[in-house]
This record gives sequence, structure tokens and C-alpha cells, in this order.
Amino acid sequence: MLWQLSGSLGWVDPLLLPPPSDLWQTVQELAISGYRQTPLWQHFAVSTGRALLAFAVAIALGVPLGLAMGLSPLFGAVLNPFVQFLRPLPKIALIPLVIVWFGIGEGAKFFLIFISSFLSIVVGASAAVHGVSQGRLRAARTLGASRRQQFVHVVLPDALPEVFTSVRLSIGIGWTSLIAAEMVAANSGLGWMVINAGSYLRTDVVLLGIVLLGLTGYAFDWLLQLLQRRFAPWTGRDA
Amino acid sequence: MSHPRITLEHVSKQFAAPGAGRTAVLDNVSLTVNEGEFVCLLGPSGCGKSTILNLVAGFEQPDHGRVLLDHRPISEPGPERGMVFQQPMLFPWLTVRDNVTFGPRMTGADKASYQADAERYLQLVGLQDFAEHYPWQLSGGMRQRAALARAWLPKPQTLLMDEPFGALDAQTRLAMQELLTDIWQRTRTTILFVTHDVDEALFLADRVLVMSARPGQIRESLTVPFARPRNPEELLTDSAYGQLKRDILHAVREEAAKSLGLQPA
Ligand SMILES: Nc1ncnc2c1ncn2[C@@H]1O[C@H](COP(=O)(O)OP(=O)(O)OP(=O)(O)O)[C@@H](O)[C@H]1O
Ligand SMILES: [Mg+2]
Repeated sequence: MLWQLSGSLGWVDPLLLPPPSDLWQTVQELAISGYRQTPLWQHFAVSTGRALLAFAVAIALGVPLGLAMGLSPLFGAVLNPFVQFLRPLPKIALIPLVIVWFGIGEGAKFFLIFISSFLSIVVGASAAVHGVSQGRLRAARTLGASRRQQFVHVVLPDALPEVFTSVRLSIGIGWTSLIAAEMVAANSGLGWMVINAGSYLRTDVVLLGIVLLGLTGYAFDWLLQLLQRRFAPWTGRDA
Repeated sequence: MSHPRITLEHVSKQFAAPGAGRTAVLDNVSLTVNEGEFVCLLGPSGCGKSTILNLVAGFEQPDHGRVLLDHRPISEPGPERGMVFQQPMLFPWLTVRDNVTFGPRMTGADKASYQADAERYLQLVGLQDFAEHYPWQLSGGMRQRAALARAWLPKPQTLLMDEPFGALDAQTRLAMQELLTDIWQRTRTTILFVTHDVDEALFLADRVLVMSARPGQIRESLTVPFARPRNPEELLTDSAYGQLKRDILHAVREEAAKSLGLQPA
């Protein structure tokens, strides 16, 4: 209400904060004629497609690597310095390098999203192994579980809730790097749309892009929570 | 019959203390538990009772001395030595039934060989109606009973029990003690049982070991002479019971006072 009034009554310049009614018009306009010749849904699809592919690969590689680092102190000690060095780097700083390595095609965009979520998944999965209950492992050992059985029947299920949590966090981080990824010579995608619209002072499009980016990130997290409840219902339960 | 199953020979154990030092937890402990014997270990909190069980289970190695099972040094845990912990340590991702059958499933036993036993143990500990529940859907006492059934099912030759009934209410505790002696009399499992409760020790044990304050040593070894099957009410009327309980309480209180840094009363 306040937001709408502030615009309609001219309290705030619509260029700074377009009111919801303008935004709704923008939605209709973009839905029909698209932004820069590309329909809105396509911007959306391009971005989520890029991100989902990068997330899938990050999970498929990051979870096993993190688990292995958690299980083997030697392996963990060897890889940890690299991971810890790369992880906090702002991914924007990597853009020049990435362009040199991967060119300006999809590869570069994939890599930027992938690397940011991958690194934090690795750290999270290895921490999850360290957090496995020693007491339950001991119980399994007195019941005759072999090392392999201890891993399959105790370490994995015990670490699963924390792995889920770290995947959720990492996907948030990966989604954040979407903008960085789409700064690299893109001509579609939500991140690109926001950057591009910003430089043409289309605040309404910027705002719409931000709302869509936020909602999509929220939807990813919601989906993961759903999966977590389905596949790790013992999360946070004591026994 | 008096073949020693568990032997500790001059065992010492230290742990790294915060800072640079080390805490001596066990100091030159020697003890024997014979095959088929039921031995209770009493002593003040922190004197090293759980540490002794961990050594016998094979989770820890002694700094000095030897820990033997059937005359052979113990190097790692094994299913012939079952353990019930101070906490239930159930697997929250498994149902109660799957928790209870965890042992035989790991050792690859034929399902037909343990299925009936599993149901019987679930019944004995009063959890037959909760077999499909998950541990977090049980009360604390029910979880501990599930943990008991889980430890019994593989029929270990030796059972190490670390205050398994400490968290139970008085009635359930009595029922569990009777159940334990029942099963023990049939299976003649060798049991090393840690407790704080003198009455529990006198009801269960063939022999009571009283430990000193840390660094733990075996201060006294007392034979419990009462005929089995024992009845908790009849025991109370036995004059030898009162005398034995006084002796043990005296030793336990003296050591507890030491471990708390108080003057013995
Ligand atoms: N893994 C460990 N690392 C360092 N110190 C330890 C470790 N395990 C036990 N201790 C120390 O050893 C001492 C004895 O511990 P233990 O658990 O054997 O005592 P306890 O007799 O079982 O006590 P309680 O009756 O309270 O269970 C304690 O002082 C404890 O701090
Ligand atoms: Mg203890």
C-alpha cells in the first residue's frame, strides 16, 4: 500500500522506486514482447537452466569429494588449503581468468556458478563427516559392522541432514553468482537483464528481475527442504 | 568354570588434559571377570569406569599393561563383545525393529535365524507395539530398552553395560534388572556392568568391584553370596544384605568424597 501510494502521489521518483502498478505493466509488457527481443520466460529459463546444470554437477562432484575429505585425514589435509583459499574469493575476481580459460560462451557462465556452489558443498560435506556421532559409530562397531558397513549404514545417514543443509546454503551462494556469470558477454538471462536494464535506467525491469531472482532462489530452497524432509526425516532428531 | 574371560593386567591409561598436561585416569588396574560371571563395577563419577569398558570393548588401548579376552590381547571391537552405552545410541534413520536387528544384519546372518528372536526380544522389553516406530518417537526409557534388545540379539559371549538403567524410572529399572538376570541365567553371558546404584549391584552381581577416586584403582572386590533367582523384596530382609550394603556404601562414599575433594564424613 505504502509502496503504491508513494509512487502514485509522487513522493518518490518512479525512476528510483517504481510503484507496483508500473511493475505489473512491466510484467505484462515483458511477458508479451520480451526484453531486448527475448521473452521474459526465456530469460528465466536460460538462467535457471544454467544454474540447475551447474548445481547438479556441483552436487554430483562436491558431495563425494567432501565426504572423501572428511573420511581420510590425509586426503582432507592435502585438498583443504586449496578449497579454503578459493572459496572466499569473490567470484567476480575470477571473471578475467575464466574468460581466458573458457572463452565467453556458456562454459564460462557454467564454471562461475559451478565453482562457487561446488566449493561450499565440499566444505559442508567434509564437515558433515566430522560431525558424525562417535557414539553411534561405536555402537555399530560392537555390533560387528565392517568399515564399509560403518560408512554405508552409519556415516552416510548420519551426515545426510548436514549435507542437505550445506547443499541448501551452497545453492544460495551459487544463485548469487548468477549475476557474475551473466556479466560475461551474455545476451539473455535474468542476471543479464538486471545488469542491462540498470544501465538503461529501466528501474522497473531491474526491480522485476530482482523479484524474480529472489523468488526463484526461494523456490530452490523450498524444493530442497521438501527433499530433505522426504529423504532425511531424522534431521535434528535425537536418538 | 572359573576360566577368565576378561583380564586387565596392570593397566594404566592417561588422557591429554586441556593445556599441556595429562590426566591419569587408570593407575595399575588389575581385574578378572570369569566366564559366565556377572560383575558390577561401582565407583565415584569420573574414576574411569567407562574407560575400563572402552578398553575391553577395544575402542581404546592401554598406555601400560594388557587387556585380554580369553588370554588374547584386545585390538579392536568385535561382535562377540556387545555393549550398552550410557546413552541409547540408536540409529534415528532406522525403525526400532531395524535398530534391534542391526547386528545380525551386519554380520550377514540368515534372516530366518534371527527374526523370531528379534520379535521375542522386542516383546521382552515391551516394545512389540513400537517395532515400526522411529527412535525419536519413543520416550527415553523406551529407547534404552530398544538399545538393550539390540545388544542382546547377536548373543554376544560378553556384554559390557555402562549404567544402562541409569535413565530409567524406578519401576522400569526393577523390571529391566529382573529381565536381565533372567536372560543372563539362561545364556550365561559374561557381564561387566557399571552402575552407581549399590542396590542394583547387589541384586545383579556375583561380585562387586569398588573403584577408588581418580586415578582409578580397584579398591575392593566383594562376593555377593545370595542364591539365585533373587527377589528384590526378600533380599531386603536378609541380614547379610544390610551388612554388605553398609560395607560397599562406606567404601563408595569415602571415594566419592575424595573425588569431590571433601573430607570424608
Ligand atoms: N576421550 C577422552 N579424552 C580425554 N579425557 C577423557 C576421555 N575419556 C575420559 N576422559 C577422562 O577420564 C576420566 C574418567 O572418565 P570415565 O568416563 O571413564 O569416568 P566414569 O567413571 O565412567 O564416570 P561416570 O560415572 O561419571 O560416567 C574423566 O576425568 C574424563 O574427563
Ligand atoms: Mg561413565
